[in-house]
Amino acid sequence: MELEVDENDLKAAGAEIFVDGGRRGIRIHGWLIESRRNSILNSSNVQEWEKKLVTSHLPEMVFGENALILKHLSSGTKIHFNAFDALCGWKQEALPPVEVPAAAKWKFRSKPFEEIILDYDYTFTTPYCGSGAIEIHKDLISEQTGDLRWEDCKEQIDLVALASKEPILFYDEVVLYEDELADNGVSLLTVKVRVMPSSWFLLLQFWLRVDGVLIRLRETRMHCVFGGSTNPVVLRESCWRESTFQALSAKGHPFDSAAYNDPNIISQKLPIVKRATQKLVFSS
Amino acid sequence: MSDLDRQIEQLKRCEPLKESEVKALCLKAIEILVEESNVQRVDAPVTICGDIHGQFYDMKELFKVGGDCPKTNYLFLGDFVDRGFYSVETFLLLLALKVRYPDRITLIRGNHESRQITQVYGFYDECLRKYGSVNVWRYCTDIFDYLSLSALIENKIFSVHGGLSPAITTLDQIRTIDRKQEVPHDGAMCDLLWSDPEDIVDGWGLSPRGAGFLFGGSVVSSFNHTNNIDYICRAHQLVMEGYKWMFNNQIVTVWSAPNYCYRCGNVAAILELDGNLNKQFRVFEAAPQDSRGAPAKKPAPDYFL
Repeated sequence: MELEVDENDLKAAGAEIFVDGGRRGIRIHGWLIESRRNSILNSSNVQEWEKKLVTSHLPEMVFGENALILKHLSSGTKIHFNAFDALCGWKQEALPPVEVPAAAKWKFRSKPFEEIILDYDYTFTTPYCGSGAIEIHKDLISEQTGDLRWEDCKEQIDLVALASKEPILFYDEVVLYEDELADNGVSLLTVKVRVMPSSWFLLLQFWLRVDGVLIRLRETRMHCVFGGSTNPVVLRESCWRESTFQALSAKGHPFDSAAYNDPNIISQKLPIVKRATQKLVFSS
Repeated sequence: MSDLDRQIEQLKRCEPLKESEVKALCLKAIEILVEESNVQRVDAPVTICGDIHGQFYDMKELFKVGGDCPKTNYLFLGDFVDRGFYSVETFLLLLALKVRYPDRITLIRGNHESRQITQVYGFYDECLRKYGSVNVWRYCTDIFDYLSLSALIENKIFSVHGGLSPAITTLDQIRTIDRKQEVPHDGAMCDLLWSDPEDIVDGWGLSPRGAGFLFGGSVVSSFNHTNNIDYICRAHQLVMEGYKWMFNNQIVTVWSAPNYCYRCGNVAAILELDGNLNKQFRVFEAAPQDSRGAPAKKPAPDYFL
């Protein structure tokens, strides 16, 4: 996702772009925002992760070194996104498996003697909404001194302001993991970010489609309006949506999976199952 | 130069054929494929290739590494289409080569060579986009029904797209399947195209999806022993290193789509067998960006909300 940025826009915003191998980012208003994009884990790394996560199944494509990192330098606040923490969430939530349509027919199939039925959540559904820490830098060594504190709040992310076509100074989309569910749909966790002169905005999206059965969309948005000298305000809004194919078609929407390729187009058709907005508390 | 040779040259430049040409090519292909066995005999030397998934320019890299057909004898293990940008050109080139050199290239069926799967994962949309109608998709999916289900190299190496089936003990049982149909949702034919080897079971396992068999080391041992074969060669699953042995070298997965979906960064492999069945894996990377014809357009800033 390369993007031509107008040098004048960058200058006017007091921002600076940096590129270093697989790392790209921007420095703006006391924030350092960086994305990393790399290959999927190789076999030996997969084994290592399986051990650490105590599982024998990982998504087919784990982009283990991909990350999005946002650091507020003066407060040591670090918000970041990575596949490992997201998969820890999957392990913890441990939803029961979703049966595909063919399963009904398979129940009547003569089964081999002593068959083992695997029962992990192959959809890799995760409640992950980002990682965070307070990191203090001392003499080139960064030390983690605490966790981030999020508090429920009444404020909402200002989508109207975000809809204005301010120049985008930095943009990237990072895949954290992906699985094709053995050609029964898609499970995809991505995070994308855009940085404008007045704010940064990001969207973490877990997108699941089990063909003919279920659609699940878990989104977390974060928005930070650059302020003056005081600590910035970061809002986090999580919205979980979910529907069965059956419920969608009962409402007159199509039943075929091909109609549900783009989560951004269909998200409005999916009922909300959970929603919360929180505000990051800066300790100063 | 014959029409067919001209079409092959055209397809090698990644230019699709006219709809009428596709129709004629498919009719010729059916005549050849209908004669093939469900367990198609293949002579060594031969080069075995795994999933391609419409990554046309990466398949050209494959031919650079493995040599051109007909000089090299090829066996492709299916999944020619879907996911990548050039399923039409990829499949038609392989099919044209099959019609031109029927004894120098063997194509067997993958689970993506199906009407249902191609409607969800790209090939159907690509045909509609490139031809303005779904006729080419119809011709191609009709061909899919004629593709063989497996191959047997010098009676020693069994090759299949997915894996084994609890309904199949002997190769003769595969020979009796009536394959000229859409891939069914269950049964032996389905399993051959869909099942996966799995480390954590020894015998048979059932996927948590409630459909789809997994098979362990003892299943492979007894199949290989019963049928007097050295090992099984299959595709179907992405492997970062291009190939992967399992169960004490009794089965190998070969994956031939480098940088899968244009973002995984994996390498791909093909397996070359010489006249004495000596093995050599040839690992290769994706085609460089500048050899892919028109460079990918830089996406406009996305004002996502």
